[in-house]
Amino acid sequence: MDTIIIDGLSFALPLFIMAIGGIYSEKSGITNLALEGFQGFGAFIGAMSAVLIANASGAAIEDMFYVALLFAMIGGMGFSIIHAVLSIKFKANQVISGVVINILALALTTFLTTQINALVFGAASDKFRLGVSERFTIDGLANIPVVGAVFTNVYPFQVIIVVIAIFAWYVLYKTKFGLRLRASGENPQSVDAAGVSVSKIRFSAVLISGLLSGLAGMCFAYSISAQFSSGIYMGYGFLAIAALIFGNWRILPTLGACLLFGFAKSGGMFIAQSMALPSSFTDLFMILPYVVTLMLLIFFSKSNRAPRALGEIYDKGKR
Amino acid sequence: MSKDKKKTSLRYRLIWPLRNEKWQPISIPVASILVSFIAAAIIILLLGKNPFQAFYNLFQGAGILPKPTYAGYKSMFTDFLQLLNAMTPMVFASLAVAVALRAGLFNIGVSGQMLFSGFLATVIVGYSGLDAFIAKPLVLLVGMVAGGLMGGLVGWLKYKFNIHEVVTTIMFNYIAQYVISFFIHMYYIDPISRQSKYITEAARLTLVNVEIANLKMNIPLGFILAIAIAIIIKFLMDKTVVGFEIKAVGSNRDAAKYTGIKVGSNTVLAMVISGGLAGLAGVTYYLGYFGSIQPKVLTNIGFDSIAVALLGNAHPIGIIFSSFLISIIDQGSTYMSSQAGIRQEIASVIIGLILLFSACGAYVKHKVSRLKEKEVDRKDSES
Repeated sequence: MDTIIIDGLSFALPLFIMAIGGIYSEKSGITNLALEGFQGFGAFIGAMSAVLIANASGAAIEDMFYVALLFAMIGGMGFSIIHAVLSIKFKANQVISGVVINILALALTTFLTTQINALVFGAASDKFRLGVSERFTIDGLANIPVVGAVFTNVYPFQVIIVVIAIFAWYVLYKTKFGLRLRASGENPQSVDAAGVSVSKIRFSAVLISGLLSGLAGMCFAYSISAQFSSGIYMGYGFLAIAALIFGNWRILPTLGACLLFGFAKSGGMFIAQSMALPSSFTDLFMILPYVVTLMLLIFFSKSNRAPRALGEIYDKGKR
Repeated sequence: MSKDKKKTSLRYRLIWPLRNEKWQPISIPVASILVSFIAAAIIILLLGKNPFQAFYNLFQGAGILPKPTYAGYKSMFTDFLQLLNAMTPMVFASLAVAVALRAGLFNIGVSGQMLFSGFLATVIVGYSGLDAFIAKPLVLLVGMVAGGLMGGLVGWLKYKFNIHEVVTTIMFNYIAQYVISFFIHMYYIDPISRQSKYITEAARLTLVNVEIANLKMNIPLGFILAIAIAIIIKFLMDKTVVGFEIKAVGSNRDAAKYTGIKVGSNTVLAMVISGGLAGLAGVTYYLGYFGSIQPKVLTNIGFDSIAVALLGNAHPIGIIFSSFLISIIDQGSTYMSSQAGIRQEIASVIIGLILLFSACGAYVKHKVSRLKEKEVDRKDSES
């Protein structure tokens, strides 16, 4: 039971923070299929900085954890500028832009990783080795039955994610900026009429989604994969999108969706292992999160509704 | 007259190939392809290599230009046929995306649908030992039906339960990937290649190593079908009631409903067609190009085809050209990499750049018309 919670959380939280990024972008009216690309590119920049700085300073790669997180956020945000410019300034179709950005991110990062490895380390490898981040346990709280697992073997990034998520929730629902952002996705004309620039709000929303996705990508790199490679593009970005649609574009239900993914995933693994079945059966249990999601959606998606102006290019003249 | 011409602004004159609106659907993609090749050339220059050499090698590798030497039984023609072989699933997959797009639906599940239909066809026909004359059409039929059912289910879930097609298709991608991996590992694994066992020659949609005029070549039977289906889809979309209704639903759901078009059934129908095309992509890929299935891997074609469809303006004929171009870059990259000493991955960067620039098409159009207006205004005020 404990392992299910521990592993489930370490998967669900990065997914959640990425989904929050998606919510910001989509609530402001910009369809964001590029989360996958943002997380990959962010993780690339983070991993590259960690590897290069560790190489230059002689420090251990594991100590570069926070540096990597920081650079990943910057990298993700930097890359998201492309989506913002294309879909806001260049009025490109947002779905197209998102897909293109994913393809470009995968191509660029794979190319640059081998290029940099060849240049700096003299070996043409297509990955940056990072190792797994260290974990910690909060002694007193960890002893509580069941709930204690939440405080056992925690990755430091999980704490960071929870703090950022609470802050993101506050900003979106309790501040003026959040109100304007949500209004841009429902009725941009009214935002414009109030004298606020719709494009500026949307621009910042996309950048936030890039920043959060970069963070998420780096967390995956430091936990599940222990390295940066094209394996980081495993479809987690699309999973985050599924989670936010499932969560009806609201932060708390989205958390529920992410936890469901995480626990179903770790639960499936756990069942497969504890039944001592041949390894091929793990595959069968891996479908649990997706089947459960579909089942639940059959009951819950009647009332699902996307932001009204989602995907629409804002045109001042239109009413 | 000559005085007038002098007054035309340089910027306006520079965009002359883009000015004719009738040609813009062709001229804008072509321009974006040119720009991205220039960008790629700059990257190659920065790496200290000769871009012309690299592009030349790229075309050589794809079978568009002759290589200096060939290994036994090969020529430019064999390379070119291999290019068509690789291009066939791409055309089908992009058509699948395009049909869904016309109905305002976004089919991210092409990869999953490809895998599902490829697997079913492999199991039902690929291992059956049926005669080629029965097996090959049966492969196509199974692929089309399997993909159509899976696509139809996505459409039905949307219509009946309001489940967003993006979520459904993503979930189905994962489910197909894992379930099929399970079955391959349990029943159909080849212990050496760690892939599913090879299908019989009779069921294969690519004729492998056919010897004609002292050349050994792979002949992709699906290619002719792909071109034919592209034309049929064009006819279906442009000239039939079905196509009109699907497009009407895609451009404005509410208006379509108001005029009495059945939005629900058209959504399902569009997804059935889209899934069926994805199924054809699947069988031409797994039972044509490859001959076996790698477990737990979704092909990238399903995702790349989204971009290929968009590069071709979601237009069937445009798609043939865009898949041709993307396949050239894909196929030629290995040879380019070995000859010019440039990493193979640069090919996918070029593809990414092409798609990026073509995504700006709407903006270019908008800019061109603005420049045009300005020009007219200026001429008016002068005269």
